Amino acid sequence: MSKIKVTDLHKQYADNHVLRGVDLEVKDNEVVVIIGPSGSGKSTLLRTLNKLEEPTSGSVVVHGTDIAQKGVNIDQVREQIGMVFQHFNLFNNLSVGKNIMLAPVELGKLSKEDAVKQAKKLLGVVGLENKFDASVNSLSGGQKQRVAIARALAMNPDIMLFDEPTSALDPEMVGDVLNVMKKLAKEKGMTMVVVTHEMGFAKEVADRVVFVDDGIIQEEGTPDEIFNHPKNDRLKSFLSKILEV
Amino acid sequence: MKRHFPVIRWLMVLSIGLVVALGLFSAPIKSNAAEKTYQIGTDVTFPPFEYANDNNKYVGIDIDLMNAIAKDQGFKVNFKPTSFNGAIQAVQSGQLNGMVAGMSVTPERKGTFDFSTAYYNSGVVMAVSQNNNDIKSLKDLKGKTIAVKTGTTGAQYAQSIQKKYGFKISTFDDSSNVYEDVLTGNSVACFDDEPVLKYGINQGTKLKIVTKPAAGTPIALGVKKGTNKDLVEKFNAGLAHLKKNGEYKKIMDKYLNAKKNTEDNHSFFGILKQNKTFLWQGFLQTLWLTIVSIIFATIFGVIFGLFGVLPIKFFRGLSSTVIYLFRGMPLLVLALFIYTGIPTLTGTRIPAFIAGVITLMLDEGAYIAAFVKGGIESVDKGQMEAARSLGLPFGKSMRKVILPQGVKLMVPSFINQFIITLKDTSILSIIGILELTQTGKIIIARNLEGFKVWAMVAIIYLVVITLLTWLSNWVKRRAKI
Repeated sequence: MSKIKVTDLHKQYADNHVLRGVDLEVKDNEVVVIIGPSGSGKSTLLRTLNKLEEPTSGSVVVHGTDIAQKGVNIDQVREQIGMVFQHFNLFNNLSVGKNIMLAPVELGKLSKEDAVKQAKKLLGVVGLENKFDASVNSLSGGQKQRVAIARALAMNPDIMLFDEPTSALDPEMVGDVLNVMKKLAKEKGMTMVVVTHEMGFAKEVADRVVFVDDGIIQEEGTPDEIFNHPKNDRLKSFLSKILEV
Repeated sequence: MKRHFPVIRWLMVLSIGLVVALGLFSAPIKSNAAEKTYQIGTDVTFPPFEYANDNNKYVGIDIDLMNAIAKDQGFKVNFKPTSFNGAIQAVQSGQLNGMVAGMSVTPERKGTFDFSTAYYNSGVVMAVSQNNNDIKSLKDLKGKTIAVKTGTTGAQYAQSIQKKYGFKISTFDDSSNVYEDVLTGNSVACFDDEPVLKYGINQGTKLKIVTKPAAGTPIALGVKKGTNKDLVEKFNAGLAHLKKNGEYKKIMDKYLNAKKNTEDNHSFFGILKQNKTFLWQGFLQTLWLTIVSIIFATIFGVIFGLFGVLPIKFFRGLSSTVIYLFRGMPLLVLALFIYTGIPTLTGTRIPAFIAGVITLMLDEGAYIAAFVKGGIESVDKGQMEAARSLGLPFGKSMRKVILPQGVKLMVPSFINQFIITLKDTSILSIIGILELTQTGKIIIARNLEGFKVWAMVAIIYLVVITLLTWLSNWVKRRAKI
């Protein structure tokens, strides 16, 4: 069953044609990793999946609703899609616990007491049991990103979007965040779309790797197909560049 | 769609409420008494024609005469003290029925005013500092600067002979400033109506009159051309009656041949003691005006500031326009425009206080809108994206995440704006609101002790601002912002 189905998606800012006809399907429990050079449109693609970017044309069907249409109650769709950002975007005015509790309480999903219990449990899942009362500013980057994952999970989504979740982290923090993501994929069977430069993560966790360049999907396949038997020239050159380093 | 933009709906309700509230305040004032009440503009800083006496009651030739005529003819007078120019504009806009302010009948004014029978004939004289023996006649003025009060016959006379005698003119809004300018030596001489200058000298101003009265002009009651005929008729009838029964002469003698008032204590504390009730009332009016204006300006500013960050083009455009318009306009111009311009357009009178509050609401509100908008915009864009990505609607995201962070950035600007608002109320003295500055002007017009009275007024402002700052800091601490 498909959770997300993108058809002929275009996104254009003035004369900058960022996405030029993307077709993509994400199935239940699938982990899709999107790779590609910077400026290729991969982050824009991810952000159209919960309408943080409005598509210029094409359709984005999530849970059977085409969110590219006008008049869609996007808030209801977003409740079921968690998103994790490159720069964490934790709410600076709230404590760690309240960051996690805000949406479920405000949207009437949980009582305050249940939200506290859930927040503590989720902090346990991401390995930050004792940070419930901590202020956001006292956390390291890696800790912030794990709180951000817990916050997204608090709405009990069945799709998670990750937008370069480890790019802003110090190298020694990357492992912790990736481990949490692996746990999500393997133990919970979460449907995930991940934009990342972590090829190791892609090889290990991805069911499918999608290579985006110049606003279209150039090639997609299993990690083995993409990394060991690339066909597309752009993909070959991209891989040679990142594997050189 | 249903829960899409509750914030917007909420804001619209608020702004409509605001407009309605203002509308109610500015509803036309009807006088339904059997005796007709006339709104009469006057200057109250123009002794001996009109000024506030030792008990800070309005007296003077114009006031006493008008009251006597009203009594004689059976109507009521409600004096509206503004500046001379303010009164002229208020009469022209229909805010006032007429004005008595030692007003000369000139051909120019006859274009827009109808005048009563003249009740006095005034002549312009020149005065110099008592220890100035160089300036004895108009011929000695070549290359020098002289001082006049705007809108007076003295000013017109000076202009008419300026070329011939080759002097420069400095203009002021108050007689006391004119005299002060001569005494300090910035100007060598001043021109004013003879009775006005004589009064000043009687009060101890160290000036002396060196010319004979010239350019005698009749002084009369003025109404807007083609209106208030009944008022002019009653005034003329009353004046004739008073001249016959001798009351007219009594009033004239009382003010024109007034002996020097030696009982007044002109020391700092003497003046303070004598005027403490008057200053206190002015202070209360300033405080009241500030508080009411701050409340309205904050509501106005927050609404238009929030409009500026809504995801709808129309509201953002509205916000930018309002900020651009009212932040770009000098407060003085805005005050005069609202007080005299709006009634001209709508035919509805606005009380000066309401006009003042609207002025400050628009001007200070525009500044508040600008920093509310700026404060919200300076919150990282990612905060909104994160909130929206969780399924929180725009309004909730704004209230729970963006505003708490934005408000923190706005607090210092708010405190600053409150202090500026308090100071800006002084500008509203131009439309005759009896706040602290206008109170000071009126006291000075009588005793001509500009330096001492302005010192008192300045100290009162400083005390209030200090208190306001303490209060703000206390609130800031309490709110742990």
